[in-house]
Amino acid sequence: MAELSVTELSKDLRDAIAQLEVAGDLETVGVVTRVGDGVAWVHGLRSAGYSEVLQIETVDGIVEAFTLNLNEDEIGAVLLGSDEGVSAGAKVTLKGTVLDVPVGPELLGRVVDPLGNPIDGGPAIKTKQRGLVEREAVGVLGRKHVHEPMMTGIMAIDAMFPIGRGQRELIIGDRQTGKTAIAIDTMINQGRQKTGVINVYVAIGQKLSKVARLVERLKEEGVMDQTIIVATGPSDPASLLYLAPYAATAMGEYFRDNKQHALMIYDDLTKHAVAYRQMSLLLRRPPGREAFPGDVFYLHSRLLERSAKLSDDLGAGSLTALPIIETQAGDISAYVPTNVISITDGQIFLETDLFNQGIRPAISAGLSVSRVGGDAQTKAVKSVGSHLKLGLSQFRELASFAQFGSDLDEATKSQIDRGQRLTELLKQHQYTPAGVWEQVASIYAVSEGIFDKVPVAKIKEAQTALLTRLWTDHKKDMQELNKGGEKINGDSPFAKLIEKAAKSVVKGFED
Amino acid sequence: MAIRLSRRKIASYYADELIAGRDIVRSLAAYLVDSRRLREIELIVRDIESALADRGVVVADVTTSRSLTDQAKTAIQTYIKATTGAKSIELRQLIDDDLIGGVKVAVPGRELDATIRHRLNLLKATKV
Repeated sequence: MAELSVTELSKDLRDAIAQLEVAGDLETVGVVTRVGDGVAWVHGLRSAGYSEVLQIETVDGIVEAFTLNLNEDEIGAVLLGSDEGVSAGAKVTLKGTVLDVPVGPELLGRVVDPLGNPIDGGPAIKTKQRGLVEREAVGVLGRKHVHEPMMTGIMAIDAMFPIGRGQRELIIGDRQTGKTAIAIDTMINQGRQKTGVINVYVAIGQKLSKVARLVERLKEEGVMDQTIIVATGPSDPASLLYLAPYAATAMGEYFRDNKQHALMIYDDLTKHAVAYRQMSLLLRRPPGREAFPGDVFYLHSRLLERSAKLSDDLGAGSLTALPIIETQAGDISAYVPTNVISITDGQIFLETDLFNQGIRPAISAGLSVSRVGGDAQTKAVKSVGSHLKLGLSQFRELASFAQFGSDLDEATKSQIDRGQRLTELLKQHQYTPAGVWEQVASIYAVSEGIFDKVPVAKIKEAQTALLTRLWTDHKKDMQELNKGGEKINGDSPFAKLIEKAAKSVVKGFED
Repeated sequence: MAIRLSRRKIASYYADELIAGRDIVRSLAAYLVDSRRLREIELIVRDIESALADRGVVVADVTTSRSLTDQAKTAIQTYIKATTGAKSIELRQLIDDDLIGGVKVAVPGRELDATIRHRLNLLKATKV
C-alpha cells in the first residue's frame, strides 16, 4: 500500500501543478482594507457587479464572499465562510460569476448547506445543472391560476383553509404552538398519499438537533427519498442564513420547471429577517422600523414570488410555499409578520390558548384564511367543508354568550353540541395525516348530525371505529372516494354508505 | 464644515495636477490633516496611482527574490506597456526572499503573480 501511493501521489501532484499554470495576463485584483463580523471591505475591483462572488486569498486557502454594497470608494462584501483567516491586506479577485447552487434530482434524500455541499456525511453531490440563487420570478403570462389541491392531511386545513399547488400559505404563531409540526405532517402526507410532490425543507438558523430529528422521522416515514433538506444552524454565519431560502428555492424551481410539483417549507422567515438585519447593520445601511433595513419587504416578496403554478406552455409544474413566521405573544401586527401576511395568499394562525386547551393542531378558525385555495379543493372535500366552516362559525358565535345562562332553546343547544363535536373531531395527532376519504367520512358523519348522540369525549373513538368499518367493508368504494371527484350530499351513494356505517357505529357509543 | 469628498475625487484632482506639473503635495497633506483623514493616506496614494494609470502614467511594483537584470527590466516594461497601453512607466523594484522564485508585477488595480510562493499557496488550497 505504502509503496504504491508514492508514485500515484507524485502523479496527482504533477497534475495539480499542471493545472496551476498561471495565465500570462494581469488579473484584476483588490485588497481587503477592513474585516470583521463576517463583512469585508474591499478597495479596488471597480468592475465588480452586484451580488458577484469574490475570492479572498488567505493562508488557509480561498474564502468566498459576495458583494452587497458598491460604493464610490469601496466594496462591502459578506463572507460565505469564517472570517478568521481573512486579514486586512489580503488579495481579492473576481470569480466572474454570481452565486449559484447545484440543482437536480441528485439532491433528493440529501441534507445540504445553502451552497449545495452535503452535510449528511454522504458522498459528494454531482449534478448536471446549476441554478441561480437569485432569479427573477415567472411573469404574468407564464402563470396559471391555482387549481390542484396540495393536501396537508390535516382535516382543519384541508376542509376549511385549503391550499392549492402554487399557493403561498403562511403558518404563523407563537413559539411552541406546532408550526413546524404542520409543515412536517404536510411533507409526510405527500409520501402517504403518493402525490409525487417533492419536499424542500429549509432550516434557517434552526437547532441542528431539531433538523437531525426531522431527518430521522422523515426516513422512518419513507418520505426522505422525495425530500431535500437545506440546513443552517445558529452558529452559521448570517450570510448563509440569508442565502438558505433563495438557494433552496433554486433547488425547488428545478422541479417546477421540469413539469413536477414541489413544496417549499421556510422554517422560519423571522430568523431570516433577523439574519438580514444583522448583515445590513454591519454593512452600515440605515436602520428603519425595528432596526430592519428598508428593503426587508422586498427580501421576502421576491423570495415568495418565485412560488407559482406555471402555465401549460411552461409544463404546468408548480412550486408551493409554506413560510413559517414566529410571533411574540401573539402579536401579528409586528413588522415582519404583517409584511409576510400581505405577501402570502393566506395564513394559518396558531394560538397558544387553543394549544394549551388540548386543541391540536391549534388552528384559530377566526384569524386563518386561504385566499385562493377554494378552487383547488376536490369536490368531495369542498362539499363537506362548507358545512364544517358554517357549523363552527355559528358555534363560536353562540358559545361566547351561552356561557352566561343555562336556559337555551333547543336549536341553540343543538348547534352548540354540534360545534363541540366538530371541534373535537378536528383534533388530530401529529404524524397522522388523513386521506380524502377519511376526512370526508369523518366530517360528514359529524356535520350531518349522525354523531350527535355520541358523547363529545368519545368522538375520536367513534371516528376511528367508523373509518375502520368503512375500510374493512367498503375498501373499493373508499379508494374511489379518495380520488375526491364527486360531491358528497344526501343523494350520493358514498353519502349513503357513510351514513349507514356511521349509524351502526353510533349504537356502540350511545350513553 | 465642507462636504466630505470621496477618495476618488481627491485622487482624480491630484492626478490632474501632477500631470500638469504642479506639485501640490503640501496642500493635499494640509487638507488631509484638516479633514482628519490621515488614516486614509495609504488608500489615497493607491487611488492616486490608479487615477494616474487611467491617464497613461503607470507606477508598477515588481517584486522578485533576486535583483533584476536590465534585460529583464526592459522585458517587463514592454509587457506592461503592451497590456495596459501606458504612455510612461515607472518601475519600483522590491526584493522579497519569501517569494522563492519568479516574479510579481502589480500595476494599479491589476496584478500578475507568477511567483513560486503563490503557486505553492494555490497548491495548498486545491487539496490534492
